[in-house]
Order: sequence, then C-alpha cells, then structure tokens
Amino acid sequence: MKKNTIVAGPVSRRALLHGLVAGAGLCLLPATAFAAASKSTSSAIAFYGNALIVARGSALLYRSGSQNWTALPKVSEGTILTFTTHPERPGRIVGGLDTGGVVLSVDGGKSWDVRGQGLPKAAVTAITTAATNPDTIYAAIRGDGLWQSDDAGQSWVFVMDRPWLANAERDLTALSSVDLATGMGGIWLYAGTDTGVTRVPDCFCRWQDVQPGDAMDALASGKQATPKVPLPEGEPVSALVSAVSRPATLYAGLPSGIWQSQDAGVTWLKRSEVIATALAVHPLRADDLVIVNDDGVLQSPDGGRTWTAIANI
Amino acid sequence: MSAVSPGSMVTGLMAGVGMALLFGVMDASAKLENLTFLEKPLTPEQIALGNDDYVEFCASCHGANLKGQKNWKRRLDTGRMPAPPHDASGHTWRHSDQELFAITKFGVGAVVPGYESDMPAFEDVLSDEEIIAVLGYIKSVWSDEEREFQHNLNLKDGRAR
Repeated sequence: MKKNTIVAGPVSRRALLHGLVAGAGLCLLPATAFAAASKSTSSAIAFYGNALIVARGSALLYRSGSQNWTALPKVSEGTILTFTTHPERPGRIVGGLDTGGVVLSVDGGKSWDVRGQGLPKAAVTAITTAATNPDTIYAAIRGDGLWQSDDAGQSWVFVMDRPWLANAERDLTALSSVDLATGMGGIWLYAGTDTGVTRVPDCFCRWQDVQPGDAMDALASGKQATPKVPLPEGEPVSALVSAVSRPATLYAGLPSGIWQSQDAGVTWLKRSEVIATALAVHPLRADDLVIVNDDGVLQSPDGGRTWTAIANI
Repeated sequence: MSAVSPGSMVTGLMAGVGMALLFGVMDASAKLENLTFLEKPLTPEQIALGNDDYVEFCASCHGANLKGQKNWKRRLDTGRMPAPPHDASGHTWRHSDQELFAITKFGVGAVVPGYESDMPAFEDVLSDEEIIAVLGYIKSVWSDEEREFQHNLNLKDGRAR
C-alpha cells in the first residue's frame, strides 16, 4: 500500500491533510470517531507495545500494530489530557484528567479505573512513569505542582513545587522520566513549560536548567562547560518525550516545529516544521515517533525528517 | 588547614579512593561504622564543633532539629525555595560530600549555575574545617541506610573523575 510520505522541510497542515485524503485506504477510521473534536482541542498519545492510543478531546482511539483504528468508549470522569505507559507494564495505560485525578486501563483503553487518592481536584496537565520503576508515576497538577505515586496511581504525595522561570511559577505542559543518572543516585525528570524546558532530579532538590554532564564536572575540572544549543528561547513546549530505548534522545514539540536532541537536551536540532500538540516515541525504536496535531495523527520512522499521516482527526 | 579549592578537593579524593581500592581496605560495612567526610574519619571533636557551628549559622533556617522550614516543598512568595530538612525527610543525603562541600562553601549556584537561593555562600564565614565539621554533624544524624546511600554516591563521584 502506498503511504503518504512527506519529505522533511516546511510542510503545511493543508498539504498533510491532502496527502492523507489521497491515501485514505491507510486510515480506516470510524467516520465519526473524532467528529466532535474541534481544532485546539486537547490531545494525548502513547505507545503501549506496538499499539497506539490517542485522545482528542473526549474521544479515544486505539490501533494495534498496523490494524485499523477503533473508537473506544469515552471516559465518563473527564477528558484525558495526557497518557503514560511503560514497557514493563505492556497492558497498562494511565491517563491524567482535566477534572483532576487519573484513570488506569489494563484492557487497552476499553475500560478505566479511577485513581488519584490525595491528588488535588485540578487538571493533570502532564504525567509520566519513572523509567526505572514502572509503578512510580509522576503527575503535574495545574496551579499546584508535582506529585508522585509509588503504587501505580492509587495514592499520591506532593514532591515539588512548580518551576520558577522568567520570574513566574510555570505549569508543566509535558513531563518525561529520562533514564540518565543525576549523580544523586537517581534519574532526571524533564519538563516542558510555556517558556521552555527544565528538569529536576528525582530526589526533587531543585528545578534547574539543562547543562552538559552535571555541575560538579565543571567544578572539578575547572573548565567551562561545553557550549550548548538550546531550544528557541521563550517558546512554549507542548510535548516533550525521552526515547525509552535511547534515553538521551529527546523530542520536543514547539510552535516552531519538532526538535530533537541526542545529548539529553544540551543541543537541539530542528527536525521538522510540523506542529505537535502531543508526541510519543516507540518503546523499542527511538526514531519512530508519532504526533497529534489539528490535522490528525502523523508518524515518522526517521526521527522526524519525514512524516506519514496515519489518522484523520 | 588552608583553603581547599573544589578542584584540589576532588583530586585528593580520587587519590584517596584509588589507594584504598588498591590496598583492598574499602570495606563498605566498616566504613559505615566510622563517620567520614571525603573518606577521612571524623572525630567526636569535629562533630561537636559542627554541632556548635550548625546551631550558630544553619539552625535559623534549617531548624535546630534539622527539619527545615515549614512547607519546604512549597515555593516562597519570592520565588525561592525554603530551606530543606537535613534529616531523612530531605534530600541532603542524596548529594555527595563533594557537592555538599561546594554548595556550603560557594553557594548552590556553584553546582546549579544561575540558581537563586536564600542560602549564602559560607566561604567568608566558615573555614574549610568548620564546613566539614558542620556537614559531618549533619551526617551524624542520618541512619545507616542514608549514610550507605550517600557513601556510594561519594565513590561514584570519585571514580567518575
């Protein structure tokens, strides 16, 4: 079957949409799957194994491997704003709700259990599972801060206030557990905000800018840190993901496009002008990423250079 | 004791760790019984000095009982974070001796460039011996588990450099 492959470079949403229509055989969506979803509606996407689950507004879709997309029942408790999955829990999907709390599914999104005892009743704007511990989940709460659960979302404790950037506290728009050592016996949590990327060690001592190695490296050697190429200053980050199979590889979705880092966020390279409101990376293939935007779901097999529309929304 | 630069401190630590490994005297359980800083055993006199200096210079923010400021995980109106506890409920034991020394002597900005903190640098207030004594006192209140965790961080810090 011919796919709608889009070569890297400026790509308009219209062109993507036309390409998608031309290859309609690829996407056998239920005709009304996302009909109620308007532009600028919230979106979330995650791999679980080779399957994908997508939330667009209150609508949910999943696709197993190369099979057709299937609509899932809506979650009655609220709208899912963010997903997290973990390779060691292949059947489990956790979603964060706009109404507060989280929901957990072990049947591919067909049914959901409500969890979130102890969480404030405010939107869960971003969620991630600890890369090194599949039962530890972190949730970012709008207007509040970062919470941690060590029992797969059942109970929660507050662990860290929101980051202070450009003279204000910032809600987290994205959250990713990055399996790279902090030097403090743990790993990093990277976060997107409306004004860039920041990170915190999982001991939660302090939010801090991304820098090469850790600060003790420069302190011990007396040398200046390697110059870095950051993301464009001040741009909001709508999506941020670390590749499980290659943790130093990060992808970020900004208004200027999709950006990739292969050194844990020290240097960034713009890979595409495609806009993403949600982003996920295949658990085994660090170059295989999927995004959601106003036009649908797109997939790239090559780290964001080329894109194929795989679902119309 | 003369002033210690971070670079020479790390170099000294490397040499110490290397020698210890070479002669097979790095028995972790034995180390835990002896409170150390940068692999050097601390004496009761140092701990007592550290206690005195802690009360004078640190307790007003970190608490006489090392419990930190109230609601220390919630940001102050200034945007800065309150002083954290130094006991098991905090994260001090998640930092190596090198980091703790650098933070205390040079300020948090020494290990997190650009970070703004209410905690001052103590390089003009406390001597290196006093800083080590204060940190030794703090370590003296940790459990064996926390000390072992932090001791492993020290070894990794030494091996990495």
